[in-house]
Amino acid sequence: MTRPVYILGGYQTDFARNWTKEGKHISAMIREAVTGGLASTGVEAREIEVGHVGNFAAELYAMQGHLGAFLVDVDPAFGGLPTGRHEAACASGSIALLAASAEIEAGRYESALVVGVEQMKTVSPAVGGDYLGTAAWYEREAKGVEFPFPKLFGKLGDEYEKRYGLKDEHLAAISAINYENARKNPKAQTRTWYMSNDHACGSDQYNAVIGGRIKVSDCSQVTDGAVALVLASEAFATKWAARRGLTLDQVPRLLGWGHRTAPLTFDAKVEESRGNPFILPHTRRAITDAFGRAGVADCWALDGIETHDCFTTSEYMAIDHFGLTAPGESWKAVEEGVIALGGKLPINPSGGLIGGGHPVGATGVRQLLDAYLQTTGQAGAYQVEGARRFATLNIGGSGTTTCVFVVGT
Amino acid sequence: MGRQFRKVVVLGANGAMGAGSGEVFAAAGIDTVFLARTRDKAAEGKKRAEKMAKSTALGRFISVGSYDEDLAKVVPGADLVFEAVSEDLALKRVYFEKIAELRRPDSIVATVSSGLSIASMAQTGDASFARHFLGIHFFNPPNVIVGCELIPHAGTDPLVTEEVTELLQGRLGRELVRTSDTPAFCGNRVGFKVLNECAQLADEHGAAYVDALLGPHTGRAMPPLATIDFVGWDVHQAIVDNIFAHTKDEAHAAFALPASMKAKIARGVLGDKTPAEGGFFKKGGKSDVKTPEVAKQMRALNHVGRYQEAFDVFAEATGPDAALMRKVILGYVSYALNRVGEVVERVADVDRIMGFGFNWAPPGALVDLIGARRTVALLEAAKLPIPRVLVEAAERNQRLFDAAHVDVGRFFHG
Repeated sequence: MTRPVYILGGYQTDFARNWTKEGKHISAMIREAVTGGLASTGVEAREIEVGHVGNFAAELYAMQGHLGAFLVDVDPAFGGLPTGRHEAACASGSIALLAASAEIEAGRYESALVVGVEQMKTVSPAVGGDYLGTAAWYEREAKGVEFPFPKLFGKLGDEYEKRYGLKDEHLAAISAINYENARKNPKAQTRTWYMSNDHACGSDQYNAVIGGRIKVSDCSQVTDGAVALVLASEAFATKWAARRGLTLDQVPRLLGWGHRTAPLTFDAKVEESRGNPFILPHTRRAITDAFGRAGVADCWALDGIETHDCFTTSEYMAIDHFGLTAPGESWKAVEEGVIALGGKLPINPSGGLIGGGHPVGATGVRQLLDAYLQTTGQAGAYQVEGARRFATLNIGGSGTTTCVFVVGT
Repeated sequence: MGRQFRKVVVLGANGAMGAGSGEVFAAAGIDTVFLARTRDKAAEGKKRAEKMAKSTALGRFISVGSYDEDLAKVVPGADLVFEAVSEDLALKRVYFEKIAELRRPDSIVATVSSGLSIASMAQTGDASFARHFLGIHFFNPPNVIVGCELIPHAGTDPLVTEEVTELLQGRLGRELVRTSDTPAFCGNRVGFKVLNECAQLADEHGAAYVDALLGPHTGRAMPPLATIDFVGWDVHQAIVDNIFAHTKDEAHAAFALPASMKAKIARGVLGDKTPAEGGFFKKGGKSDVKTPEVAKQMRALNHVGRYQEAFDVFAEATGPDAALMRKVILGYVSYALNRVGEVVERVADVDRIMGFGFNWAPPGALVDLIGARRTVALLEAAKLPIPRVLVEAAERNQRLFDAAHVDVGRFFHG
């Protein structure tokens, strides 16, 4: 990177909340995240030079577009703030982060506020499932299909089974680990929910099949949530660190990033990757791009990963694509306890999307906030001891848009 | 390494609190025995717990039995015996006597009672029983509401209190508050003071108006009188009568059950559980009461997340509606913070139990929104007692609510 980009911290709303039941407009979510982010970083509104909002489908869920403009409403000092909104399905938050970091790298601005937000509990699960179908090629993959995404990610599992073999018990274990981690996270949606390996392995009225091999326990949740994060240039971060009694090398920065796009339909992805050891080669490239830019040799240089487990199959994919195992052998990392909190390379100590929640457009920003918390020792009960370097993997669609960040001090 | 809780026996496991508490123990992977009058009733409790957990896998940690056939078999092997039979002291004592005979000398005995004297229950058994006895007050439904009160009596072994604290806070993930053994403990004492005050106001102003004025925009999930209907008028009566009879504090009159409610209860009006009669409201009934302007303004501000400004309106609005709203809400703040030093040790305790047990805006969070100094001035204007902890906060210009991981906004509805 030309000019380094520092992360000064931020704020995540409680992902267990139902903002529709609270009678709230999506602007309330943005307001709470931003005021929380400014308060927790000690950055004043007047010090923010640009704002970027990541959101997938507020036009559908909340009948509201033009979300960037809501930043200006949060504080009088934001009057005139340049803002914009970014969309790439479930990777929307990371796209907002990429745009903000690019502007800091380019020297346009010294500080940027990034917000990821999604209000999803405004509609029934069936209607919400249909809206989410627009993250696929709607006409070809989602129109008239009940809950299209569990079926698409079920196909990802099927492809693993075809190429390498796959046991559902390993998917169940991934679910149980995420739920277990979420119990330690005071912002996680499922922190009080019951889950066990036995439950995730079973299938009955409480753990019904949603599509293909995907059961309720394999799925991330319908979540309302917003996250704000403050990014800054070296000059800004230096002054800020002094103000906070820190040295600059204690402030985490974006060490590297990766960003790739695969064909939109799942079948086209599979067709393209035939003969490739990686089922989603563009996701693999995004990871190696980020490693290359960060000067990281491989995944073992990381202390943890916050990955995109919209379904257990997507985390299963992330394990071998990050290189924890050879392609097709993700089950080994599950069985050997590598990915558990306290393991050799913990994945989703926060509970990820399955345990923590998945407010679609907020997820990428939430992952980076968790990477920040981990690398500054502020993750509380889900802290990976001594973590200095974390990676995030955020995916839009059925493995279509992939964004990766490596964060470290 | 603290005490290992390997086996818990729950008495009254077919009821809402018994099954719900049993669910919490089983969900933590503890072998839990559900006991009831009959094995079938205990099995119903197990089903109820599975439904709460949305998992039949939970059932692997639950076994069932009846008092007659199984109490003597399972109590000697229990690390914790958890009593959740009806809120009837005489009945509870019958079981405590049996437990005292059967229990291992080091086992712990707890009651889920929401207000009876822990010390008087502890005296049922021998000295060892009393030393190992305390109250664990879960709130209904315990699988969802994580707020929990722990009530040792004066003779509880401090080590027992410590071990149970570790279990509840650690393995069971409770937001735990330790309270003194005073009537209704902390949450219900503070909560039902407000609820009963609202019930008293309903006589004069009408139920629909009271709920419209003091609804979720003032910091609660459900309007106050709808809450009493939901809880049940008989339960409400039992709680406020107990507090009225056994306390004498600055808000004593607020615990007097309205005569109108008493008469209706005698006729079988119990709230939502008697849908034909209803309570303050009937399900599906319509209200033609206009929302007071001050409530409308606060809701509109909460809708867009401007909570601070909503409470500026609360503090500054003029007229009888605003004055009545301030009397009740500030009365809550005053009464809750005055329990610090009497029922709980710290402001954080009463904040936690009202936030996590009642799902009401914690009093400390309300003070922070209004401002400590302004709260003192408003309390003076409303002729309400000014708690010492509030005076100190105002003097130092300090914030009171200290749980940084809690979104305070979630309490204020639009």
